[in-house]
Amino acid sequence: MPSTIVTLKVNGRAQEFLTRPGTTLLDALRDSLSLTASKKGCAQGTCGTCTVLLDGKPVFACLVPVETVAGRSIETLEGLAAGDVLHPLQESFIALFATQCGFCSSGMIMAAKGLLDRNPDPSRADVVRAISGNVCRCTGYEAIIDAVLDAAAKMKKAAPSRRKAAE
Amino acid sequence: MLRAIDVPQTTAEALSSLARARDALVIGGGTLVMPKVQAGISGLGALVSLSRLKLDKIAIKGDKVTIGAATTLAAIGEERGLAFLQPAIESVGSPTLRNLATIGGNLFTEQPYGDIAVCLLALDAEATVATKRGMKKLPVAELLKKGIGRDAIVTAIGFKKPEKGTWFYRKAMRRAANSASIVTIAAHCSQSKGRVAKARIALGGCGTKPVLAAKAAAALEGQKLDADAIAKAGALLIQDAAPFTDAYASAWYRARVLPVHFRRAILGE
Repeated sequence: MPSTIVTLKVNGRAQEFLTRPGTTLLDALRDSLSLTASKKGCAQGTCGTCTVLLDGKPVFACLVPVETVAGRSIETLEGLAAGDVLHPLQESFIALFATQCGFCSSGMIMAAKGLLDRNPDPSRADVVRAISGNVCRCTGYEAIIDAVLDAAAKMKKAAPSRRKAAE
Repeated sequence: MLRAIDVPQTTAEALSSLARARDALVIGGGTLVMPKVQAGISGLGALVSLSRLKLDKIAIKGDKVTIGAATTLAAIGEERGLAFLQPAIESVGSPTLRNLATIGGNLFTEQPYGDIAVCLLALDAEATVATKRGMKKLPVAELLKKGIGRDAIVTAIGFKKPEKGTWFYRKAMRRAANSASIVTIAAHCSQSKGRVAKARIALGGCGTKPVLAAKAAAALEGQKLDADAIAKAGALLIQDAAPFTDAYASAWYRARVLPVHFRRAILGE
């Protein structure tokens, strides 16, 4: 079976590439688009390092055949920073030492972004639930949860002034 | 390595695609099939995706519920009209997994996964199955025992919503979230004049597929749902169960805790 052309909207930009049958969204992002923030850990949907947002919802990119999501919108860690200005989640991960080896960080941040986009004021339990599909083998969970809550607080504070600026 | 992946627009196209490739599997959310693809299991050459068949609608009319087979567990968990199922939904995997995993796929999961299939068995749900010869209805109980055969696709699942206070669910896990089942209990006990009129109890972790605990259910019927009746019924669960040993628990442990979690399910402990 020949390869097919797939179009995706990745981090707000239309991307077109050639793909072999059954290529995962993760492999397409990494190998065809050179977006290597999403990691391949288990390739079984159990470790969460490949988490990206599909139409705004966190999914395991290793479980998604890319042909089945043609035309849809994907957000990866690479889309978070605005130039040199980091996203509050990235800032908080650095400030609160939520990254050790770093392998889980991009998946953790994308799962957390999926949560904060829907629920800007999460409880600690909400954060634990949201990252329950992501494994950190340095076991730095507490720092990660602290960082997500810190980012949520920062974003909440910034939100009213942003609204004012828009007015 | 896969030879082909089809993303058909209609159920008819999907059925022809399945019929063409003898080594094809149906793929819904991918949480069951893709690990197999990634692990390179032999004999799997093609996938037929349900993603564009629009099988993701939930319809609730009175107590009649119909859910498209490709509806994600996340969408079911968010449906206010199905709040009774929310604890079961949230006991499956992680929110990230539930954004992909579908209710139809859950019927084809091997235990100790597939807690929603346990619920559907307790609800006496019925699957709508598309075949080359047309659509047919198949009780979930039968589907779990015999499968649906090749060249067939589950398109929807229907059941009657249980009355308030008649639905019970509990899943024992190794940790609070994202873990397989040690034992899962789902029970629908309709009541009349303070006694159990009809009971239907389904168990997970007690066989490769969810099983019905018919003897325990019969023992509950006509009784008040009190500690005594629950203990008597709980002792009978094992007669219909075949708990197994895996990385999560031993068969001995599963058998030992089954009546305990049954009691906790019914009494809400």
